[in-house]
Amino acid sequence: MSVVAQLEAHALDPQLELAELTEQARGDGAIVTFIGLARPESKGGDAVDALVLEHHPTLTRQSIEEIAVACAEKFDVSHVRVVHRCGTVPAGEPIVFAGAASLHRRAAFNAADYLMDRLKTDAVFWKREVGDSGSAWIEPTEADYADRDRWG
Amino acid sequence: MRILLYGRLAEALDRQIELDAPAACSVDAVRQRLQANHPAIAAALARSRAVVGGAAAPDGQAVGPGDTIEFLPPVSGG
Repeated sequence: MSVVAQLEAHALDPQLELAELTEQARGDGAIVTFIGLARPESKGGDAVDALVLEHHPTLTRQSIEEIAVACAEKFDVSHVRVVHRCGTVPAGEPIVFAGAASLHRRAAFNAADYLMDRLKTDAVFWKREVGDSGSAWIEPTEADYADRDRWG
Repeated sequence: MRILLYGRLAEALDRQIELDAPAACSVDAVRQRLQANHPAIAAALARSRAVVGGAAAPDGQAVGPGDTIEFLPPVSGG
């Protein structure tokens, strides 16, 4: 069992993260990963140049670790890996890598789903989209909270 | 009393402000005083979580002039 939870201030390389997870998962039968990307357009249709992720000096890292550990305890997985960007993420670039490895696929699918539902609502970041039309803060929606709450 | 703000609160006001507070009061009283002093962030403050010493601070928790209180607006990663 291993749990990796990292806060990354520079570019995130999903291929590298997958390679690390695959290396750790020798003996497992499944790996499921999710890669979140900074969207080039807001919900309102405005062009977005970058997503800015402000973080807390201590609580952000703690929150990512707590979510990753809770995931490892909740599902029958062998490895959990979360790498989350902070700072300015240009549109199209990765924000987050969330992956899990397990003996059988269902646990890994559920673990990855859980990781993202928790990160969306409980990871300590303040996000804003920046573009020609200005800057807009992004907060979780009711649907995001409902997605999190379905895990109990 | 030192107040640390994040996200939209920091953007609207500042990352750190000093607040004159009585010798002993509650987290909620601090929140209400900030709301009264800065109406522009009153609504966002109402939705914010208070943190003292790195731990969540309920409204009734007692705080004093030497404390630092952080207010965290709703968070979102991913």
